[in-house]
Amino acid sequence: MTAAAAAAGLPSGEPKLLPPEEVFRFSARVLDPRTLEARFEVMEGYYLYRDKLAFTVQPDVGAGKPELPQGQRHHDEFFGDVETYRGRVVVKVPLAAARPGQQLTVRAESQGCADAGICYPPTVQEVKVKVPAAGAGPGPVVDAPRKKGLFD
Amino acid sequence: MSEHTLSWLRGRWGRWGLFLAAAVVALAVGLHVARHGWSWDDNRKASAALLAVQLPDASGQVQRLDQWRGRVLVVNFWATWCVPCREEMPQFIRAQAEDGGKGLQFVGIAVDSADKVQKFSKDIGLNYPTLVGGLGAIELSRDLGNRLMALPFTIVVDRDGRVVHTQLGPLKPDKLHAIVDPLLAAG
Repeated sequence: MTAAAAAAGLPSGEPKLLPPEEVFRFSARVLDPRTLEARFEVMEGYYLYRDKLAFTVQPDVGAGKPELPQGQRHHDEFFGDVETYRGRVVVKVPLAAARPGQQLTVRAESQGCADAGICYPPTVQEVKVKVPAAGAGPGPVVDAPRKKGLFD
Repeated sequence: MSEHTLSWLRGRWGRWGLFLAAAVVALAVGLHVARHGWSWDDNRKASAALLAVQLPDASGQVQRLDQWRGRVLVVNFWATWCVPCREEMPQFIRAQAEDGGKGLQFVGIAVDSADKVQKFSKDIGLNYPTLVGGLGAIELSRDLGNRLMALPFTIVVDRDGRVVHTQLGPLKPDKLHAIVDPLLAAG
């Protein structure tokens, strides 16, 4: 039940649900100057659509096509075959022109649903990561902020 | 919902910005509601603002929700990309067929594109109107209590234009009838 409905005394029946940033936790790190690693930790009871994942990297460092792992296949009557992700999703994004020490802003767009029977609209999350020096090992994992909604 | 997401939504769906802006301004009460809870007066204002919503239907014709005033109105926010939304629509179609004569009126608001809405409506044999708001339509539902801006989200409005129920997630047939049957009888 929403706070609004509760306060109004409106009869409402909704499953207890969390904001998308809480259930689709995005993080990223730069493995080496040629490779960005983006991750989602999908909370139990929720899933993401594979074909709705998209990444952009700023400034333009020649980010290539993300290597999306295979998901669970489902047949959807309207959209045909679709794949979904549960648990941890690790995506590698090749970088053609990143320089060691450079700061990158990684934006991830995702869309998913809860088994409880609701779907979230497309959600954008963002992290800033630093490109490590060649041979220095992977940079640290940076979690997207779990900020509250604008109206909380 | 992050600021980025909101700006992304606005950028991509700016086309209906004018329609939505008017409604969002009218629904500014939603902000107040989210912060301070509802009073009877808020409900009245939010209900009035909901009925003032105007959006194009799947054929592009602009429709106002208040044209169905006087009927028991079930406004369902949905999308073709939302499987739980699609799953509950056949029972809405049945209820519309069975109780439309008694004054029950379903109206969909699709958070989607017109072409997908048209195709899906035809596939499923939709027997009630659905308006098309794009992703920006989610903001309308937020102002009526859908803080997560998730789907499906359904609002029941009585014959006098009062919001009597809001629901995030599927509205099961038993519950739907428990809510609308007394309202229909009251007509």
